[in-house]
Amino acid sequence: MDYLLHILILIAIYSILVVSLDLIAGYTGLLSIAHAAFYGIGAYATALLSLHFQTNFLINMIFGAVGAAALGVIVAFPSLRIHDDYFVIATFGFQMILYSIFNNWIGVTRGPLGIPGIPVASLFGFDIDNHWKFLILAALFASLSYGFVRKLVKSPYGRVLKAIREDEVFAQSLGKNVNSYKIQIFVIGGALASVAGNLYAHYVTFIDPTSFTILESILVISMVIIGGAGSLKGPVVGAAVLVVLPEALRFVGLPSSVAANLRQIFYGSLLVLMMLYRPQGLMGAYDLRR
Amino acid sequence: MLPQLFVNGLIAGGVYSLVALGFGLIYSTARFFHFAHGAVYAVGAYLTYAGWLLGLSLYVAIPLAVIGTAMLGALIDVGIYRPLRKKNASSLILLLASLGLFTVIQNFISLIFGDDTKTIRSGAVTEGLPLFGARITPIQIAIIIVSALLILLCWILMKRTKVGKAMRAVANDPELARVVGIEPDRVILFTFALGSALAAVAAILISLDTDMTPMMGFYALLMGVVAVIAGGVGSIPGAALGGLLVGMAQHLGVWKIPTQWQDTIVFLILIFFLLFRPQGFLGKAVKKAAV
Repeated sequence: MDYLLHILILIAIYSILVVSLDLIAGYTGLLSIAHAAFYGIGAYATALLSLHFQTNFLINMIFGAVGAAALGVIVAFPSLRIHDDYFVIATFGFQMILYSIFNNWIGVTRGPLGIPGIPVASLFGFDIDNHWKFLILAALFASLSYGFVRKLVKSPYGRVLKAIREDEVFAQSLGKNVNSYKIQIFVIGGALASVAGNLYAHYVTFIDPTSFTILESILVISMVIIGGAGSLKGPVVGAAVLVVLPEALRFVGLPSSVAANLRQIFYGSLLVLMMLYRPQGLMGAYDLRR
Repeated sequence: MLPQLFVNGLIAGGVYSLVALGFGLIYSTARFFHFAHGAVYAVGAYLTYAGWLLGLSLYVAIPLAVIGTAMLGALIDVGIYRPLRKKNASSLILLLASLGLFTVIQNFISLIFGDDTKTIRSGAVTEGLPLFGARITPIQIAIIIVSALLILLCWILMKRTKVGKAMRAVANDPELARVVGIEPDRVILFTFALGSALAAVAAILISLDTDMTPMMGFYALLMGVVAVIAGGVGSIPGAALGGLLVGMAQHLGVWKIPTQWQDTIVFLILIFFLLFRPQGFLGKAVKKAAV
């Protein structure tokens, strides 16, 4: 039973990551492979604050979000000057820099050893100490994020985002400050991703840099693209599919190292096949083919 | 210490230049960032290792591995990228497909050979020859000579031969190239084979000097990408200089900064170039297309 709950918790955490990335990549058209960096900021902020200052879950979440929002401003900055695949390369650079900070700033992050012993989340004196309670917490934050992003993209604000995605110069000609929107969206998206990191850290109670690598970023963008960038249900479905399907490998009885490789091969082939036969994703609204 | 760091920078720079050259040639003709290039690079090293395991002499195994890798590059183009081009896929779609492909190839390597470090070094580790207060091994000298030679050959190929002219034509304008009877698909196919062969040579040189892991391609690709951006996309001297810059920054940086931060320096260079000079120091202002 715990195994099933574990899968559902993972889906909830990834749902927060995909809707926040969808806001950036799907709705605003800024394809980013630095999302694991924001996720990592949230997780490390949580780990460090709760261990050194015994702060509670909500305080950790706020500080993580502030840190990730600051990073969002920095990551958004190149998008004001460079576009499309060059911007992807820039986000790639940020991902690598953040990873190397997690991995090399040994004095603070303990580097590859990771940070063990993160306390479980506690909300108003109530400990979230088993899978059931955690699932409810994670599902609550996943639905809040989903609702928030949905509200945002359906509002006039969201229509400006889509206009920027479709034709930046045109949006500018209507008097919209495109640069400011791009920065705002990275701030919002980054802060949301850090919430996922916060939940993850409290859930597994141990974090190390291997959870926040470029492969994680590629996995999250794959979920968004496979599900369908620019729709809200799509990426969540993508997250569920990419979390659940490889679990089947577990039941075939393969050694875990082989299963890990096969899982990655599965993600990769699915991404290639989708690009070949259905680039808009399972339920996508935004067609990358333009 | 300084001469040694300089020599180390030169060796690393030579290898990065070769990766950057292949990656840059592919970008300029096919117009997208072929991330799977990193995985193709690792295939070059592992094919050599496989040949060596089968008892072939390295003089036979290495050419076979280079040819095999070139064929893999060509196969990727025909099997995946060409159908995508037929559908007028954007450069972002091609880039995402190449990320997927990268994951697939790298995991195939670790599935077959395992994740641990493999080596094809034969014989005992010997102390290098002294050279201006630094030490350098024969294989390291070979790395520097081979990369310099290949860069020169590619430059001649691009400037003096018919194939090179066709490649430049396709890079410039595929439609116009078609009008004068150049088939862009065939030229791109050739570029993939050539670029992959260059990557294989780089990977084999590195694995003769040190060792190989399935992840090696990712690292080399990162350095190659930075070299291409810094040097200027589509410029051969640019790729060579960019590779050298990355290699030098990495190794001379160690002089003042702790070793573990040497890669961070490289990515800071990347962000700097992307922000302030996206065409690189030798590239032409091709950025118009991306605006």
